[in-house]
Order: sequence, then structure tokens, then C-alpha cells
Amino acid sequence: MDWLEQELKNTLARKDPPPDFADRVLRGVGRSAPSPVWRHSRWLAAAAAVVIITGGAAAYRQHQGLVAKEQVMLAFRIAAVKVNHIQTHIQEAVR
Amino acid sequence: MTALRTLALVVVAALLSAQQLKFNLDYLAAKASDSVDLSLNGATLQFAAHFLSSKDADESKVKKMIASLDGIYIRTFEFKDAGAWSPADLEGVRQQLRGAEWSRIVGVKSGQEGENAEIYVRSENKKINGVAILVSGPKELTIVNIVGPVDLDSLASLGGHLGIPKVEIGKHK
Repeated sequence: MDWLEQELKNTLARKDPPPDFADRVLRGVGRSAPSPVWRHSRWLAAAAAVVIITGGAAAYRQHQGLVAKEQVMLAFRIAAVKVNHIQTHIQEAVR
Repeated sequence: MTALRTLALVVVAALLSAQQLKFNLDYLAAKASDSVDLSLNGATLQFAAHFLSSKDADESKVKKMIASLDGIYIRTFEFKDAGAWSPADLEGVRQQLRGAEWSRIVGVKSGQEGENAEIYVRSENKKINGVAILVSGPKELTIVNIVGPVDLDSLASLGGHLGIPKVEIGKHK
């Protein structure tokens, strides 16, 4: 066995990891992976955004509808008042 | 098919536009102490109908009336002083009402109050498909244009509703 062969044998020889290796690996994994709570909160935020947007659109539509309704009622009030007013004049003229 | 549909829409729009009176009296708003400008087209009326209750007597009546309407256009002005508007302001509207399709069914002139009130109806195939109401006084000007089939009896019957006192009279048409 020459010196090169001996060097290779030493270099490639099996070495056991230090005793705290497994703990350090597990600690590293724990740091990099998102926690289940964080993963859930992202979904919750997305769901909340959808609810807020949908709710806002529905509330806006409701508001627009009520405004349109009030305008229609006002229009009929004005038209009916004028027709009644004309009828009153006719009634007075007929007497 | 699409071209036919577009053509139909154009024809309907043209017919509706012919029924609708055009009045631009915005300049009077500056002189008025109080003014109302309502422009409710068919889509707005149908949208509003969804919010009118069928259980409420007044709203139910209005809901039925607007079901077939294509628009309601109203301008009212109230002035503090007499003479703020002139008959020439109404000339543009009167010109449109001189068309063959329009006929005046009521005209009331009150000498004491200096008030004029007229109701015109637009007929097509012996059916009323539009109404115009003009009421003018020294301190007031109102133009109402209802586009679409209108039942004047239903409109008059709103007296006693919507906070309007009921006036009991014979029918005049």
C-alpha cells in the first residue's frame, strides 16, 4: 500500500456525525418551514378580502337601489301632485 | 342574427327617443330657490322596482306602474320672485308637443294665480305611450314626461297615497 492509497482510505473512511447533528438539522428545518398557523392566516386573509369585497359590492348595490327607489317615489309624488292639482282646478271650474 | 338584433335595438332606441321630450333648462336652476331634476330611464326604473315592496300599498302601486315604463323625466323649479322665467323657456318643449302624435287633453288657466297647467298624451295605435305635464306659474315651472304606456287613472289614483290628499272629482279625459 503506497502513501496515496493510504491517504484515500483515510479521507473516504466512514465518520460518524457529532452527537448534536440531528438536533441542529431539526432546528434548521423548524426555522425555514412556515408554521401551520401562518399558512392558515394567509388563507384567512384571502377569505376576509373576498368577504369584504363581496359585502362592499352588495352594500353599494343596496344603496344604489334605495336611492333609485326614493327617486322613483319622488317622481310619482311630483307627477301625482300635479295631476291632482289640475283635477282640483277642473273641479272648481265645473262647480 | 347579431346585425338584426343591433338593428332592432337601434329602432327601439330611436322610438324611445322620439317619445322622450328633450328639455335643457339647466340655466334656470341658478335662478331657482328650489329645483328637482330627475332622469330615470327604463333600466333605472326596473332596478328600482327590485327595491319596491309588494307588501307596502304605495310602493306596490308604483311598482306595478313602472313595470311597463321606459322612463320618467322631471324638472321642477320654484322661484322666490315672479318673472324669473319666461314663456320662451318653455317654447322648446311646446314645439315638441305640437307633433301629430301628441294631443292636449287638459288645459287649465287660472287667471287669479296666473297659473297654467296642461296634460298632453302621446298616442300610438290608439294606446297612450307617453304623458307630458306642464305646470307653470309666476314662481313655478314643472315639466313631467313619462315615457311608456301610462294609465292616467292609476296616476290620478295615487291621490290619497304617497302623502297626497285625495281629490274626489268626476273623471275628465
